Amino acid sequence: MDIYPLPLPSTSTIVKIILPDKSCRTRDVGPVTVESLLRELGLNPVEVLVSKNGTLVVEDAIVQDTDEVRIFRITHGG
Amino acid sequence: MKSGSSGSLTGGKPLTASPVPETTPHCSLCSGHAVYHDRISGRYLCRDHFIANIESRVTETIRSRKMIQPGDHVGIGLSGGKDSTALLMILSRLLPSLDGVRLTAITIDEGIAGYREDTIRSADELVKKYKIPQVSVSFTVLFGNTLDAFLKGREPEACTVCGILRRKALIAGAEQAGITKLATGHNLDDEAQSVFMNVLRGDLPRLVRDSASDSQGWFIPRIKPLMHVSEKELAVYLMLHGAWPDLPECPYAVHALRMEVRTMLATLEVKHPGTMLHLLESKAQIEAHCAGALVVEPVRHCRECGDACSGEICQLCMLKRRLGIGGS
Repeated sequence: MDIYPLPLPSTSTIVKIILPDKSCRTRDVGPVTVESLLRELGLNPVEVLVSKNGTLVVEDAIVQDTDEVRIFRITHGG
Repeated sequence: MKSGSSGSLTGGKPLTASPVPETTPHCSLCSGHAVYHDRISGRYLCRDHFIANIESRVTETIRSRKMIQPGDHVGIGLSGGKDSTALLMILSRLLPSLDGVRLTAITIDEGIAGYREDTIRSADELVKKYKIPQVSVSFTVLFGNTLDAFLKGREPEACTVCGILRRKALIAGAEQAGITKLATGHNLDDEAQSVFMNVLRGDLPRLVRDSASDSQGWFIPRIKPLMHVSEKELAVYLMLHGAWPDLPECPYAVHALRMEVRTMLATLEVKHPGTMLHLLESKAQIEAHCAGALVVEPVRHCRECGDACSGEICQLCMLKRRLGIGGS
């Protein structure tokens, strides 16, 4: 699922995801909501913020095409 | 309110206007692109409406609970982490509406390697930017060593040990600054977690204790202006101001019961929006029912250091004995 064989089907949507630990993944997730993507990654929407292409978005924003999604964990402690 | 304002994060700079992405919901109050979805009310808010909403709610918390009086000198416990950063920013913005009120930041350096250096640097930059006086107190100066040194082999006790030493350090800083109120960055999540933890511990007196009113004249009243704002809302507020501190997690947090409670409540909150707020409301109702029913112990004085306490020896002096810290 992580690496899609080239050439990509016309319906494929490879999204770049930057996780809270700053590691990076690419996934073919299709047009999905941010919330669905978070659930797939096992992240609770209450505990993270998400930007899409550098802009803060809400959980029901749609991620698609070649979007870059960045996820920030909000808990720091003390 | 401007429409179409966005939450651009590029380069950590404040927001600039950008076209509304078609795949992003719009603000419920204007045509701007939504940066926050309030799961309780179902409302979407753009940058400007979100910021106005947070600041008006903090203003209302301060007003309804009479947290700040004209002429108060408010100390802000400023660690440099996200909550205290947001607290300083919001109080600074509200300052013109607070009659004759002054702010001073109080920063405590516990001595936590790989964590506190970064937050202190962030705190120092913030007070310079907002031109707020700052008082700094370090565990090394006050207690003779760092928290890391005190915790060797006692890591599971970290939050208890740190809490007791930190309280004393904050009082020392507050006295040095001459403040009349001490504001801390506790948010809705922190407060809900505390309610739940006190219930789990069966500690009713602590559950209904109010740090602003139980001082009996001995302590500087503590206030929590962010108590009705969630941790996520504060994070969004900081992001929208380009002030998100990208800092590490406290290395001792993994040992805390609070960490387990935090995860549990966050799971409940996403399934049942309003859970945390309901916990705070439950606490208020219990407080109302208990008013006058709980016997409040008179304030006594520690026989070792003379500080106000509830027993013969204060928690700090007991801890100092255990840690082998000389002199009270």
